[in-house]
Amino acid sequence: MNVTRQAQRLLIDNLSLEDALPTQMPIYVTSVVYLFGVTTLSALSALVLTGVIMSLFGAAWYHGSNVGHFVNSLHFWSVQVFFGALVLHMVSKYLMAAWRDGRWKTWMVGALAFGAAVITGFTGFLSQTNWDSQWIAVQAKDAMNALGVGAFLNTMDTGQVLTLHIVVMPLLLVLLVGGHLFFVRREGPVKPFQTGGRDD
Amino acid sequence: MKPYDLLAEGLIVLLVVAVVVVVLAAVFSSPDYPTVRGEDVANRQPVAFVQTSANILAGNSSIQDYGPPYTPDTDNAQSLFGIAPAKWFGVRDRIDPVQDFVLKPLARAAVLNDDVATALDTYEAASPDQQQTWVTAYLSALDEATVVNGEVRVTAGDYGPVPTLMSGMLDLGRSGLLEGALESNAKLPFTLDFTRSQLFFQDDVYAGVAEKLNLLGDQWGISNETGRYPGAWWLWPYAFFYQIEPMSSSDNADLEVGVIMIGVFLIMLLIPFIPIISRLPRWLGVHRVIWRGWYARGNGG
Repeated sequence: MNVTRQAQRLLIDNLSLEDALPTQMPIYVTSVVYLFGVTTLSALSALVLTGVIMSLFGAAWYHGSNVGHFVNSLHFWSVQVFFGALVLHMVSKYLMAAWRDGRWKTWMVGALAFGAAVITGFTGFLSQTNWDSQWIAVQAKDAMNALGVGAFLNTMDTGQVLTLHIVVMPLLLVLLVGGHLFFVRREGPVKPFQTGGRDD
Repeated sequence: MKPYDLLAEGLIVLLVVAVVVVVLAAVFSSPDYPTVRGEDVANRQPVAFVQTSANILAGNSSIQDYGPPYTPDTDNAQSLFGIAPAKWFGVRDRIDPVQDFVLKPLARAAVLNDDVATALDTYEAASPDQQQTWVTAYLSALDEATVVNGEVRVTAGDYGPVPTLMSGMLDLGRSGLLEGALESNAKLPFTLDFTRSQLFFQDDVYAGVAEKLNLLGDQWGISNETGRYPGAWWLWPYAFFYQIEPMSSSDNADLEVGVIMIGVFLIMLLIPFIPIISRLPRWLGVHRVIWRGWYARGNGG
């Protein structure tokens, strides 16, 4: 068995160059709702970029530096745009029943990415090393402990939540988003509902 | 099909998002409410600081009988239908509040202060009943405490060595050494775990600050932010379930809401396979607006 050839075959069978980088789109793809996904992706890019800059200077940099505080503000507002676009993306895809015609994997991987994004945001609040972090840590510990998660995730362990926020969760999130995009491009946009059709 | 340029569209949207984020950051900045430190509490609210310390010494800390992962007793472990996930993994980070939050930090202060050392010896040599009598009496007296020249004064009474011990705690707080004394462990100076210093103030001091900032649980606090900034509004559904019965008055609210949210997430994840919910979009008809151009051309809908 040639693993490389198998990988080639997997890609060729599932994603043509036109699928990955399309130059044509179905005629029904005209609504603004088709921009919510790419807006979410753009905000995620801004989050990664500003997050990397803050990582370079350390977790407490932004408390005492005007530049650091501005980068933190960019990160903060990127989060708001990210979740705003993400919620609009998910609601619109629900209203379009975008899982039809075998696209359930696209939906499910996207939903998992949403879950990962919420946890990433949560660990971000815990990593701010300010009052928010203190209060959220002592409040959230009760929820974590009640669910048994507290045995492994200590919201008051800044070292743990910071590494989760800047390494583990972003990596997981980017992998899930990558998987989501793979399915999105492989399957293409879902068709509009047809009267009397078997599309739902 | 129609002509389309994926990368051009992506770059334009990225540019627009970047401009929006830069403008929002430049105009509105971002919240950064400072930490609440032992030093701040000891200097600004010395009575509250001493009350916190004395309550812990009296065994009144909420961590005293919290259950796993901090203490072995499981009476307070949240359960649902007899299932208590908190018990599954037992005590992972043993905390004895009286020792870890008060007596051990005082033992460090005693190295620098002979009065504290003597008071600590007296206290530890006394019977548990005597200790409790002293602390309880002192706690009652604290209700009428005054602050004179920075010292917490109470009416005369038999408090044993407790006032000296509490004065030692207050000094520890004012010196800025409290957090270090609370987190002292084998990992110093590389400890990044601030469990004990945050648990120390969580009961009254943190809750008092949080209430003023509209951050308590019954104020939908988990989805709020300090100041006039948007918070984690995507957690509104999570905060919502804490506001309604039976969760709003339940001792097991965290577990109940957690299970509900896991259920909500599973429903969202499995929507494609859930009969009514998966058919709802067609019945709602919003798709006719989204694809109105397509349907206007005479295509079915």
